[in-house]
Amino acid sequence: MIESRTFREAFFRNRLAVLGLIGVVLIALTGILAPILREYPSGYGSELYNQPSAKYPLGSDSMGLDIFAEVIWGSRSSFYISLMAVAVASLIGIPAGLISGYYKGWIGEVIDGTVDIFLTLPTLPLMIIIAAVMGPSITNVAIVIGLLAWPSLARITRNATLKISEMQFIEAARSLGINSKAILFKHIFLNIAGPVLVNLTLVMATAVLAESGLSFLGLGDPTTWSWGTILKKAWDAGAIIDTPNPWWWWLSPSLFITLYVVCFNMLGTGINDTLNPKNRED
Amino acid sequence: MAAYLTRRIFKGLLTIFASVTITFFILRLMPADPVALVVDPKMGLEAQAAMKAKFGLDKPILEQYAIFIGNLIQGDMGVSFKTRQPVMAVIQEKMPWTLLLLIIVVTLSLLVGIPVGVRAAKRPNKGFDRFVSLLTMFSISIFIPFLSFAFLYLLAYYLKLLPTGGAYTPPPADGLTYYKDVARHAVLPSLVLFINNVATIILYTRNSMQDVLKEDYIRTAYSKGWNEKYVTRVHGLKNALIPTITVTGLMISSLIGGAVMTETVFAWPGVGRLIYDSVSALDYPVLQGAFLILSATVVVTSILSDLIIAWLDPRIRLG
Repeated sequence: MIESRTFREAFFRNRLAVLGLIGVVLIALTGILAPILREYPSGYGSELYNQPSAKYPLGSDSMGLDIFAEVIWGSRSSFYISLMAVAVASLIGIPAGLISGYYKGWIGEVIDGTVDIFLTLPTLPLMIIIAAVMGPSITNVAIVIGLLAWPSLARITRNATLKISEMQFIEAARSLGINSKAILFKHIFLNIAGPVLVNLTLVMATAVLAESGLSFLGLGDPTTWSWGTILKKAWDAGAIIDTPNPWWWWLSPSLFITLYVVCFNMLGTGINDTLNPKNRED
Repeated sequence: MAAYLTRRIFKGLLTIFASVTITFFILRLMPADPVALVVDPKMGLEAQAAMKAKFGLDKPILEQYAIFIGNLIQGDMGVSFKTRQPVMAVIQEKMPWTLLLLIIVVTLSLLVGIPVGVRAAKRPNKGFDRFVSLLTMFSISIFIPFLSFAFLYLLAYYLKLLPTGGAYTPPPADGLTYYKDVARHAVLPSLVLFINNVATIILYTRNSMQDVLKEDYIRTAYSKGWNEKYVTRVHGLKNALIPTITVTGLMISSLIGGAVMTETVFAWPGVGRLIYDSVSALDYPVLQGAFLILSATVVVTSILSDLIIAWLDPRIRLG
């Protein structure tokens, strides 16, 4: 286990990681504080297709709604969906990876084979089918994303577990007569927390891409604002190639999606670099 | 080699079987009425009864599953709710367009990604490498519809250089003009998918090349007096390409996900756009068929990439 103090020091010396962390915290705060920041955009406004101005910082859409408010409420959905998806993926993926890595044998083979199959299947089309059958609701979408994100998490957990369970302190724990459940969920789990954490940040990032994709394809929750939903509305209204051309309508949600994903990726890369002193720059 | 091949094909068949099973049970075990998922409610009562008998919808679920697999093996995936055509025929019409897009993108990604990755690996953490890793970080993080919108806005709406959608200008022209027209239409969708996927190729080539260049046999090759170009090309690249080819095989599955969105934005008449159209029409048989065909594509490419690796790496070929 890395000493927490050196980890913190190395982490805060890594510019990429700190930038990512700041971005993530800002987006999360925006999402949490959405009800205070702006009123929930609904109904019709009177000023359609307003350019970005003091009243509408990011312009207004074809219904006269404030895009700034939509984007803020969108970050709330994005954050909620990422968290839900990560929770679902962790609940399945981490135990599956721990078990298949520790008890090799047939149970490990079966789990690993299942992971292999799920890693090969084209994820987005499968998500589309499940979401189409389950019906559009923001929680359903999050569950679907989590259900299809667990295999990569299980794979990472398994590989790390395989490595750790060969180590001497695990053998020592075993010879002390500690039962294998305690070894697995305490001794091993604490030691693989690093790579697992890195993968979790990646799941957070891909969850938002997946949610935006599903919403863009019309499988999102039509009653909740998300960045993908805003893009779908802009696309349906022909905002990209028709005249009048309200470019601000699709540009800001797109930039927010990119920002969110980049921040989580930077955070993940940062944690990864900090955990592997080999890669540290100094 | 024979054992390796058999194992690989068996695994592929298992994957296809799993995807068939998953879609079957997802569609049947959902709270919705199973009959509504297979039989078009707008059909006549007699036709509905015939469909129910054919798919055994009044029988227990496991029997339904057996009937479904039986029909599938005969190439019968049911009838589209929307067009009343057999699902197989619908997909056969769309699949070549998606394959065309995938082939263009994979070829371009390899042609550009490998040299860039190799060059970045030669001087790690220097200017070019830094620039490339920044660029790849963004191209992996980008949301595909966003990239599509940006290109559409700039190149199709603002500069009016390229068509905004479709695969050709209707009615389709003859001969060379037709191919030129299709090529013009293919530029934007391929460009979007290329940008999103080339990053993966670059990253994997760069990382594995970096590892390979540290190996003893590279030092040996240098000490034999070979120049840098020869060593990286012959001794380095051949070993470094193995992870790149593996990831190319794996990339297809995410590429297909991207294709669904790209084809939707650019109205490209492939399977991805078909999925989008079927979602809005709740055309379950077509959705299921499209997913199966895409899974089969993924399985075939992953077997292909494993075969190429076996050919490149004698340890696998002979082992």
